[in-house]
Amino acid sequence: MKTRLLVLLAAGIVVANGFFPAAWILLTSLKTEAELVSKPITYWPANATLGNYVQAFTDQPLLRYLGNSAVVAAVSTVVSLVVAALAAYAIARLNLRRRQLILTCIVASSMFPLVTLLVPIFETMRTLGLLNTYTALVLPYTVLNLPVCTLVLVGFFQSIPKDLENAAMIDGCTRLGALVRVVVPLAAPGVFTAGILAFVNAWDEFLLALSLNASASMRTLPVGITLYQGEFTFPWPIISAALIVAIVPIAVLIALFQERVVGGLTQGGLKG
Amino acid sequence: MAALIDRLRDPSEKTLGLLLLAPAFLLLALIVVYPIGKLVFNSFFDLRLSGGGGAARFVGLENYALVLTDKDFWHATKNTVLITLITVPGALVVGLGLALLANLPFKKMGLPMWPVRLALLLPWALPLAFAGLIFAWFFHTEYGVVNDVARRFGADEPTMWLLRPGWAFAAICITIIWKTSSFMALILLAGLQMIPRSLYEAAEVDGASRWQQFWQITIPMLMPSIVVALIFRTITALQTFDIPYTMTKGGPGNATETLAMLIHKTTIEYLDVGYGSTMAVCMFVLSLAVTALYLKRIGQQA
Repeated sequence: MKTRLLVLLAAGIVVANGFFPAAWILLTSLKTEAELVSKPITYWPANATLGNYVQAFTDQPLLRYLGNSAVVAAVSTVVSLVVAALAAYAIARLNLRRRQLILTCIVASSMFPLVTLLVPIFETMRTLGLLNTYTALVLPYTVLNLPVCTLVLVGFFQSIPKDLENAAMIDGCTRLGALVRVVVPLAAPGVFTAGILAFVNAWDEFLLALSLNASASMRTLPVGITLYQGEFTFPWPIISAALIVAIVPIAVLIALFQERVVGGLTQGGLKG
Repeated sequence: MAALIDRLRDPSEKTLGLLLLAPAFLLLALIVVYPIGKLVFNSFFDLRLSGGGGAARFVGLENYALVLTDKDFWHATKNTVLITLITVPGALVVGLGLALLANLPFKKMGLPMWPVRLALLLPWALPLAFAGLIFAWFFHTEYGVVNDVARRFGADEPTMWLLRPGWAFAAICITIIWKTSSFMALILLAGLQMIPRSLYEAAEVDGASRWQQFWQITIPMLMPSIVVALIFRTITALQTFDIPYTMTKGGPGNATETLAMLIHKTTIEYLDVGYGSTMAVCMFVLSLAVTALYLKRIGQQA
């Protein structure tokens, strides 16, 4: 009984540590501006209201930010998966020399500080007139996610028995046919795992989004909410509502697929 | 022609390999290799995009000489290194604690694992910028929950967390440690679950205390995970941008400005691409050393 209590306490600590910021923001989002600036501060909203959520969508183009984030994250995830799947297959399956070196090169690219790439990417996008377009973010995000996707997928490809593929080729499939009909379906869980990691990465990115797409209609969620301007002060209740709106999609995604995400993260995904 | 089509339909290993790797390397060339080349190139020029003064003027090592005596640059470098030295070990200790708690036998007691797992995943999935905003609200002088708790414990004056250099720095470090420790915990938890139970059973037979078991078995067995997590955290800590940007914008003054923030300001806001590139090259060299360490590790594992 005593151990059970201790274990429960341990679980409580971990859960509290993970959830308290989101919980506090949720409570804040339900308070009125008047309640928020009353002292001493209240913990439980006295007159809970959803007005802040309405205002979050009407004061600023929050829906537009949501859409921008979704488009940029989804497109870069898909492109990244396709490119990484091709490369990972070559590394895991083909009899290439220096495959380790190839993998190291791809992984190394993610280790460069983003801000050092930002300067020339900004200059190039500016010259090409691509600032404030989806392309400006999709291209770098795709590359940003290549290492994680490739690492996860190499692991999955290596776990699929080579005999299956050989059998398909004996039955008359070409090599590419075997890849599409045998390997890709079997690697689907891996593709899915890599996809979630890539999506979260792209959804969270801030520095590039802030620097390349700062115009009001092209902001992603993190940039849009950070640059949210109130008339006089930073409108915390509305910001909190906007934060909840922005956090929910990603929280649902990881809640549904938590085991895969943990597996992908600890296997190859290496993000802070 | 027919032979070519045949070759494309069933290419040799080498051709197929090249074909499959081409898109990845093309993208890397465009978004990583070319920009780095361009960055080094620009660092030798006086290149400003503001006020129509677009023409680049070659200045040789002048920018580098400027950097060496630039107070702001060294100040930002000092902040970045300090943040790294504080938050990386901090996140390791907190992350190890969380991992040890999460590794308790919940399942055996009929407790679900998912709340604990989700509690470790949520801070990881939360954008850094949001963590900064949320904690800025926590540390708000008038209406923040931190000062309210302090008041309940008898603090007379509210602490001006984000308005005093030292306090702001502390608040930023606390936020970074909270945000990054759960990723650390996930990596360490995976490591903990790999340690065979039999080791602990044998130690118990030999009469080793819990404390001894922790230092003699857990820590040594966990070392590979710890090293990977540490090196990776260090690389990202050197790039710290989002959290100080959303909490203090580098203020008060430039007290909490990091290297990434200074480079961002110089290039994107002041459009001084030449000098910004020079600072970026210096930062690049700083992180290259850590990267090399990391890659050596990956190479050893493979």
